[in-house]
Amino acid sequence: MSASSSAVPERVLAGMAAIVGKSHCVSEPAQLRTYESDGLASFRVTPGLVVLPASTAEVAAVVRLAADAGLPIVARGAGTGLSGGALPVTGCVVIGLARMKKILEVDYENEWMRVEPGVINLDVSKRISSEGYYYAPDPSSQSVCTIGGNVAENSGGAHCLKYGFTVNHVLGARIVLGDGSVLDLGGPVGDAPGYDLLGVLVGSEGMLGIVTEVVLRILRKPEATRTFFATFPSTDEAGHAVSAIIASGIVPAAIEMMDRLAIVAAKAATGLDWPDVGAALLMDVDGPLAEVEHTSESATRLAAAAGAIEIRRPRDENERQLMWKGRKSAFAAVGRISPNYIVQDGVIPRSSIAPVLREIEALAVAAGLRVANVFHAGDGNLHPLVLYDARVPGEEKRAEELGGEILRICIRSGGSITGEHGVGADKAPYMAEMFGEGDLDTMGRVRCAFDPANRFNPGKVFPTPRLCGDRPGPYRPHPTELSGEAGRG
Amino acid sequence: MLGIRPKLVFSPGGVEEAAEVMAQCARDAARLLFVGGGTDLDAGQPPESIDAVLRTGGLGRILEHAPSDQIVVAEAGVPLAALQRAVGAHGQRLALDPPWPERATLGGLVATNAFGPLRARYGSIRDLIIGVSIVRADGILSRGGGKVVKNVAGFDIPKLMVGSLGTLGLISTVTFRLHPLPETSAMVVVPGCSAALLRKLVREMRRAQLEPASAVAILSGPGVFDLGVQFEGFAAGVDQQRERFLALMGPGTRAEVVDAGGRAAFQTRHDAVRGAHSLRAKITAPRSEVEAVSSEVVEKVLDALESGGAVWYPTFGIGFLGGDARPGSSEPPASASALLSARSVLALLGGSLTVQAAPAPIRSRLDAWGERPQSWPLQQAMKSRLDPDGRLAPGRFVGGL
Repeated sequence: MSASSSAVPERVLAGMAAIVGKSHCVSEPAQLRTYESDGLASFRVTPGLVVLPASTAEVAAVVRLAADAGLPIVARGAGTGLSGGALPVTGCVVIGLARMKKILEVDYENEWMRVEPGVINLDVSKRISSEGYYYAPDPSSQSVCTIGGNVAENSGGAHCLKYGFTVNHVLGARIVLGDGSVLDLGGPVGDAPGYDLLGVLVGSEGMLGIVTEVVLRILRKPEATRTFFATFPSTDEAGHAVSAIIASGIVPAAIEMMDRLAIVAAKAATGLDWPDVGAALLMDVDGPLAEVEHTSESATRLAAAAGAIEIRRPRDENERQLMWKGRKSAFAAVGRISPNYIVQDGVIPRSSIAPVLREIEALAVAAGLRVANVFHAGDGNLHPLVLYDARVPGEEKRAEELGGEILRICIRSGGSITGEHGVGADKAPYMAEMFGEGDLDTMGRVRCAFDPANRFNPGKVFPTPRLCGDRPGPYRPHPTELSGEAGRG
Repeated sequence: MLGIRPKLVFSPGGVEEAAEVMAQCARDAARLLFVGGGTDLDAGQPPESIDAVLRTGGLGRILEHAPSDQIVVAEAGVPLAALQRAVGAHGQRLALDPPWPERATLGGLVATNAFGPLRARYGSIRDLIIGVSIVRADGILSRGGGKVVKNVAGFDIPKLMVGSLGTLGLISTVTFRLHPLPETSAMVVVPGCSAALLRKLVREMRRAQLEPASAVAILSGPGVFDLGVQFEGFAAGVDQQRERFLALMGPGTRAEVVDAGGRAAFQTRHDAVRGAHSLRAKITAPRSEVEAVSSEVVEKVLDALESGGAVWYPTFGIGFLGGDARPGSSEPPASASALLSARSVLALLGGSLTVQAAPAPIRSRLDAWGERPQSWPLQQAMKSRLDPDGRLAPGRFVGGL
């Protein structure tokens, strides 16, 4: 596998070294293996070369050189993605953006900041916290994942129920296209004339361009936040509580569910004194103080009416952070109770949580496997963790099949094969089950508009490779332009 | 309608029929204009030439409303008010309040990226749309997004359609996320605010962690605005926010809580500026530049007009100018020159001026969109990939697309 590094010609290596400096080119086979996968370690391909540029100009030069040599390019942030979105292709140039980690500008009055793509998600909020501001999207990996990766994946997190996803918080981006040209999309001021190409770029999984600067919306912190942790006999009652709270008109900032296995795992990992129950909800409401007092009281009442066994409120901010730590570390915590596991990510209509969880459980029993569930209940974004032991012959395959069946349940219920982890390499085959040929063809045309050479991240998202024909139809100047009446360009 | 007299008018009765019409137009190489409720037909540049008009009024069904999932799927020809009535019966709403909801259709709203005061709290259509189906120029029916709010499968085709003005495809159905209707709301009007006071009040609202549902400044005299701030939610929170907003007023600043009648009157004034004039422009700038916008853009443009007004949304830095050109215009019309200067001022601030409607003598001297954006090569590539023969409202969009 490591033999692929020899695919990059010597003159390209020398050219890259001349652009970014020799110490920022990785071509030794042993070092290249660091980059052979992202957070989805079951997919591995050793890249031909890894280049670590430090500026937009360097990224553009690297892209031009790779394009001239006909090499595919895969952009990479922190490599924490869970869908193989940053998986290299054989002989490719990986452009790692971790060195581009400057916060360039903060404008509090207009509520935006401009950052480089390698900035860690949590560092954005840290930088502006003292002024009473924060950046809303909070993926569970926020202490390590980068803004550039968040833009590529349209990352969500626990609090997107109320605040939206990365796409709702990105105001502008500077991108390098597949021919090395540099463009700005959007910007601090909204509604710039033109198609919403920024909206298309966010979540495009590194297939349209490489983001080298991002303008983020920053938010004033809410006046108050109330958190509660409620336990239930089973996920049925917890699911009913979620539905009742949402139906009452409350828009919680976050409402997360864990089932028995996930609670056991989180306890093992964090030492929290959570009880041994069938399900738990962790919920935040935030906003102006009087409203939050009202909504937290109503939500507590509704949870009790839905059959909550016990409702705890954190005594202080420390305890609140600990509760959230238990939730956010739940994926990794599952490693305490199972040698191997698959993290699945699918979405169902919120009202179907209880029946879908029962269906998943029945499938798991039939497959002789266990599934732990820890997920964003408020928006129906499931994260079933399929536990297995790779040492047992056949178990890994059964686990993969079960993961696939879970995605099919999501599609059948009217949901999606991914709520926040992306399609990447992992779920590309399922795209054809969620979308029809016409749908995929339109997406393919969008790809071709941005990247006609299919230079960036080939082989991701689409179930079958799509080539772009010549750009159809020449541009015809507008008559007012020809007559010189309209000033353009 | 932009001076167009099409030979053919199609009114398909459903999405499938619309796809058949589009396929036939592709075979005939017919150039098409899509028309919904006709509330914003003057948007963009006049198309070069149109062979047929496709009216979306027959795409009038609400296909699915799942109250517990807070989503609605509807055909493009459904008027906004009809949708609001249907979902309102379940205590929900689409958090979108542009003018003329009885006429404006969902497809048209998406195509024009329409919005109203609630954008302050809920964002614009791009923040509310979660799925779309389109009929492409070649007649192919194509979907993007889905029916769940959280969904990152595939490229975001719904957002691509927002503001695309019928130049990339026919929007045939749309899926929106819904919000609960607020339990109560309250509006405070601060009459006679200078631009400087608008800026100060927005800063102070943020500092006080107030979360208004909307904030609208309506020009009431030279350099002076009436500011209407609305709070929504549960009663306890609304009461507290209203009182804390009133407490922000300095000595000599009058603020009054208005009743339902006062709110309706304020809304009427707002809608009149947005819709009732032969010349209308949308302006954008950083919200911190409201003073420059007021003195260098609003005043100068309105000075060149016979009558007119302006609204400015001070929490997100977008506004609208509306007016009527003076009869017996000089050459070139003063209003066109004023708009061009205003556009330059706004461009220097990082903003823009887009003409939404204008009489022909002004249009001929002023592109509706202004200079091509720096991303224009990509804009052009997108158009040519989705409408390779340039048959969908050719020339209407930015840069002649």
